[in-house]
Amino acid sequence: MKILALILGTGRELAAKATVYVLLAISTIVLLGVLVSVSSSSTAEGKTLMLFGNTVSPPSSDEMFSDIVSKMEATLAGGLFFGISLFGMFATAGVITDALDKGTVDLYLSKPIARWELLFGKYLGGVAVILVNIVYFIGALWLIVGMKTGVWNVSFLVASVLMTFVFACLYAIVTYVGVVSRNTAIAIIGGFVYLFIVAELLQSRERGLYLLGDNTFYRGAVDGLYYLLPQLPAMQATAFKYIGGNSLDWRPFAQSFLSACGFFGLAAWTLEKTDF
Amino acid sequence: MLAIEVDSLSKTYTSGLFRRERVEALTAFSVAVESGQIFSLLGPNGAGKTTFIKIILSLTHATSGAASILGQRLPNTAIRSRVGYLPESHRFPGYLTGEQVLRFFGRLSGVSSADLALRIPPLLELAGIAQWRGMKVKKYSKGMMQRLGLAQALLNEPDILFLDEPTDGVDPVGRKEIRDILKELKSRGKTIFLNSHLLSEVELVSDRVAILDKGRLLRVGTVDELTTGGSQYSIGFSGQLPAAAEVEAHAMVMNFTVTGDTIRAECTTTAELNRIIDLLRKHGVEIASITRQRNTLEESFISLIKREVAP
Repeated sequence: MKILALILGTGRELAAKATVYVLLAISTIVLLGVLVSVSSSSTAEGKTLMLFGNTVSPPSSDEMFSDIVSKMEATLAGGLFFGISLFGMFATAGVITDALDKGTVDLYLSKPIARWELLFGKYLGGVAVILVNIVYFIGALWLIVGMKTGVWNVSFLVASVLMTFVFACLYAIVTYVGVVSRNTAIAIIGGFVYLFIVAELLQSRERGLYLLGDNTFYRGAVDGLYYLLPQLPAMQATAFKYIGGNSLDWRPFAQSFLSACGFFGLAAWTLEKTDF
Repeated sequence: MLAIEVDSLSKTYTSGLFRRERVEALTAFSVAVESGQIFSLLGPNGAGKTTFIKIILSLTHATSGAASILGQRLPNTAIRSRVGYLPESHRFPGYLTGEQVLRFFGRLSGVSSADLALRIPPLLELAGIAQWRGMKVKKYSKGMMQRLGLAQALLNEPDILFLDEPTDGVDPVGRKEIRDILKELKSRGKTIFLNSHLLSEVELVSDRVAILDKGRLLRVGTVDELTTGGSQYSIGFSGQLPAAAEVEAHAMVMNFTVTGDTIRAECTTTAELNRIIDLLRKHGVEIASITRQRNTLEESFISLIKREVAP
């Protein structure tokens, strides 16, 4: 009940912030754009995808047409994930740090609630708000594309859960940096540095970091980091492939889940030791 | 039964490079608070009052020592369901209304929705903010925030209430209302632990008072025990005081002043007082009254703190 109260309270907190509405507005504009621009036509030669009345794909069989639509959905999902990462982190990083502010944390921790429960409730609240945003976009897009093209790609719906999961892993890092620094700006920067620099460098280590040294220890350390930290690019790539019709590779998700649990555990441990 | 029991509680804050800078916020602080009392902790800024409350509420970890509330050894998360707390500078979510704030923190206290529906309206009335229940908290004045904070602290019907500067920012009428609420809570058997700079208010409501300075307990006792001058006596007389008697008296006690028909004498023992009386009687002075002087709590507090500061 207390964790549920924290989740709902966090939802209300984020609903009071403009950032979430910016994200919703951008999603709605994209959805309206898809609604207006995307259509399909059927001829004897096959189905074609049209944008603003112009044919953008050759006449294809049902199977190939379905593949083309899935790729379009994957591209849009990629854009959404970028938007979610950008605005989602801006919107939710403050959830953790604001709760630890003097005057606020005193009120929370004087209640019969453990510190890890406070952190967990706030964390889940942040993730829940992002889930709502993703489900809104993906769900509406799925409906629009389905109605316009006749392609009902269930994998695209499932991808909303996968994308939320990727965000949850990233948010575990933001939570840890937020607890350590108790500063929203640093938490956001930490999240961005991980998402756009660290995770990308580790993902493409064979083409980048490996070139900096060839000794076994160094490369082992780079590999160790790759397997120790959440594999965000690998999960994104897997999710987009899944939307495109490939089977889902669970390994980066399982590894990232353990890693995110580790970050959350570190955050909870740090919070437990903190004097307010 | 003891509501709060603290044994040799110490807290050292460390900071700086390699945590070499140390501040002793509390040093071997021991105190016992009986159930149903209003107990006040006084001290200048930085004395360790808030640190003490924060340790009791597990917001801060003690460096050493032990504490228990309602017989439960701390730290203990569950016991906080029987505790209410009004922090010194609290910040409620500005986007919520007063009523929503109470519902939110009530749920965190483990109070059911049904109980909250019953408790919130009378608490808003009690705190005097019922007419602003639907207003966003960000529009509340400091005094209204304090009243909301008090209502929030009472939501779970606590057995112990910790109030850190509860009348801060509240107007005189509001302060009187808060005092009345505290007295009413005490009459219902609640234990109230009060931190306040407003010594005149503490004097009006407290059963026992502890004075803390630089993390050390200087004195603890009832308001009477702390405010009774101890060594100051006022002796009323009729007629003339012979000059010889005055000279002799000056030699006998530390301070001896005469204003009109009243002598003020500082006697460290009863024997010293009796010697002064014998002296006055020997010189034929007719004694009309003898009164032990009583200070205000503020005077006692300042004199105690000054004595500590003096080399």
